[in-house]
Amino acid sequence: MSKKRVMFSPVTRLSGLLSVEVVEERGGIIEAKAGGTLFRGIEAIMKGRHITDAVYLTQRVCGICSLAHGTVAGYLLDGLYDHELPENAQYLRNIMLAADTLQNHIRHFYFFSLPDYVKMPEQPPFLNQNLHDHRLSQQDNARLVNHYFRSVAVSQECHQLLTVFGGKIPHQHSFVHGGVAVAPTADKISQCLALIHSVHSFVKECLVPDTELIASAYRDYFRIGGTPGRFLSFGMFRFGSKNQSPLWRSGVLAGAQLSVPDVRLISEDITSSWFVNADGQEIPSPSKPAAYSYIKSVQYAGQTFEMGPLARMLINGFYRGGNSAMDRIYARSMETLLITELVIDWLNKLVPGPPPIQQKKVPVKEYAVAATDVMRGALLHSARIKGEQVEEYRIITPTAWNFSPKNNKVQTGPVESALTGTVIPGPDMLYTVLGRIIRSFDPCISCGTHVLNAKGDLTGKMVF
Amino acid sequence: MQKEEFNYRCRELSAGLDFQLTKYVLDTVQEHRKSKSAGKLPVIWIETSDSGDNNIAFMNTTYPYLGQVLSGLIDLLYSNTFMAAQGKDALNILEQAATELRGKFTLVVEGAVPLKDNGLYTVIARTENYSLTARDVLTWLGPLAKYVVALGTCASFGGVSAARPNVAGSVGVRDVLKREVINVSGCPVNPDWFVGTLAHLLLFGAPELDSLNRPALFYGFTVHRHCQRRSYFDQGHFAEKLGDLECMFSLGCVGPRTGADCPYRQWINHVNWPVRANTPCIGCTNEDFPDGSSPFFTPLPEKNPPPHEEQPAASKGGAKGE
Repeated sequence: MSKKRVMFSPVTRLSGLLSVEVVEERGGIIEAKAGGTLFRGIEAIMKGRHITDAVYLTQRVCGICSLAHGTVAGYLLDGLYDHELPENAQYLRNIMLAADTLQNHIRHFYFFSLPDYVKMPEQPPFLNQNLHDHRLSQQDNARLVNHYFRSVAVSQECHQLLTVFGGKIPHQHSFVHGGVAVAPTADKISQCLALIHSVHSFVKECLVPDTELIASAYRDYFRIGGTPGRFLSFGMFRFGSKNQSPLWRSGVLAGAQLSVPDVRLISEDITSSWFVNADGQEIPSPSKPAAYSYIKSVQYAGQTFEMGPLARMLINGFYRGGNSAMDRIYARSMETLLITELVIDWLNKLVPGPPPIQQKKVPVKEYAVAATDVMRGALLHSARIKGEQVEEYRIITPTAWNFSPKNNKVQTGPVESALTGTVIPGPDMLYTVLGRIIRSFDPCISCGTHVLNAKGDLTGKMVF
Repeated sequence: MQKEEFNYRCRELSAGLDFQLTKYVLDTVQEHRKSKSAGKLPVIWIETSDSGDNNIAFMNTTYPYLGQVLSGLIDLLYSNTFMAAQGKDALNILEQAATELRGKFTLVVEGAVPLKDNGLYTVIARTENYSLTARDVLTWLGPLAKYVVALGTCASFGGVSAARPNVAGSVGVRDVLKREVINVSGCPVNPDWFVGTLAHLLLFGAPELDSLNRPALFYGFTVHRHCQRRSYFDQGHFAEKLGDLECMFSLGCVGPRTGADCPYRQWINHVNWPVRANTPCIGCTNEDFPDGSSPFFTPLPEKNPPPHEEQPAASKGGAKGE
């Protein structure tokens, strides 16, 4: 039987624009190319600007995880200015990042992932669903559709909680360098406690059981969509006056080996990306032959790595499952529950008082790297400044790691590896199966396609 | 309900701590559809070059909530974010809707449109043979739509996607289509502005627009005019640092030249807004955002003019009054 090349595009229900080309032979996928088809170039936009623009401007990389970029840019500036973070600022920042993460995970599960497994009503925006492999009883299905619509208000409540402190979202305002500009007053704390208790109930009573129901009905997906099993996390929810202590540990997990990540071992590759090297600068080149993505390939110690909730949960020993599409979904839902409990705890630990912020006037360093885990995995920002002006700004996003295209060693990234070797049970099942695997990574192509490297590798230690 | 009353409700309700816009908007829409035997507003939503923040903002709509908007107000036929269909099935829906609802659908564009290198910096979908760029889709659907709504500042004016040095040569929708484009700017949009505009289109057609083609209903006055800290400005009391309670003109606030109703409408179920969070307004609804607002924490008279950008086509105004 001959090989068949199929373009799966657009891959809907995700953030940004994604096209995936696969080669099918004898009902199996023998090759996959995952291509982000959107370029914006925030790094180029940051060049020449005042470094304190970074928190607000880099949030504009992404709509669904804006505070992820705000957080890492905040840490980066804390390092450049050598700030001391008050304890209330540490709690507030983590509460805000957690709220954005909850919003992200809940929306990913219900709005993006659920229609892969649940028959949605035959009305816009659910027309032509073509779910050929539907396995839920009518009653269970109806309940999950109902939860889809209930989740609307719950994910909104996560953002409302964030806004009580952050002023607005996406692209909040109060989490800046040196702390948080808003006072954690008693009324705000109790308002947020009411909101998080509502979110917590929903997660416990709907999201977790819904995940378990889908995981049991589609349990074969615990064996589908696996990657080579290399996981990386920079640690999440940072505490300490210098952001030095992540609550959830960082780690590089390869097989049973767990080690501490070192940013100097990160490298990037543009073999399959629409970029060329010109005078030491990487510039976009949308007609480059054989390239298929604006995402660059990212490696750690020469290998591609998977990141995200599953990586964090495995590295921290919170989850003992395997490595598959369903494990990714399962770990994300378990993490969602854990985070709601953390937010309740942190809100109770906040001490009502004035805005916990102390900004120094001038930066004391010229270069810094900040990296931490956010919703989708490890996010890194680095900056070189002269005076207060940006000379070079760099961003490496979790989606770039997960959606790495083939590098110069023809090594595939985690998503391409997960797709390759997949068996497609019938001709009408192609989109369904591929879609389930791809979405289990929670793709965010808006983030993934910003990588525009000035030159050189990361040097020096991380600022926290 | 008459147009004037509808506009009044949109304007006033969120200020009154009586957030029953749902009752007014959805009930009015139901009445309208019944009396005119009209359907919902058919919408084709195309995401182009932006961060996807406007669809997240849309998910945050309250009174009416997202589910109510989808069931009672619009038929969201094509949307990369929400639609269940994928791959060619999704493209088929797009082609079918564009043909069958020609002259009837509302085209919502979320993001700027890159023009450089044949627009290849934003590809909406690929087939085995060609890439369908944002520009291709807009030039195809733009003339077929009844209304075109540019959602967010990137779609309206280029926004962050077109910020200097604008590597991809991105522009707002108005620079691609030779027709009226309703700009609902904001980075992101406040969902009330967007949902209110959709309801207005269904009930009364295009709303009254300001000089930047934005619904005057929402953008007609400056942030400065209604700011809770206005009295500090008038008396010359300025904040020295973030977290202070005085006027933040000294810390870079762009409120005096930004048309938006944030001070009274506020964000995410109307609970807060940037100035109340002790930070400056950065003028995200403006035609020259972000370059005209940058550096964000530098006072307005000292901000850098864009070094090598062309001057905006329309005048800088657009909002009435101080």
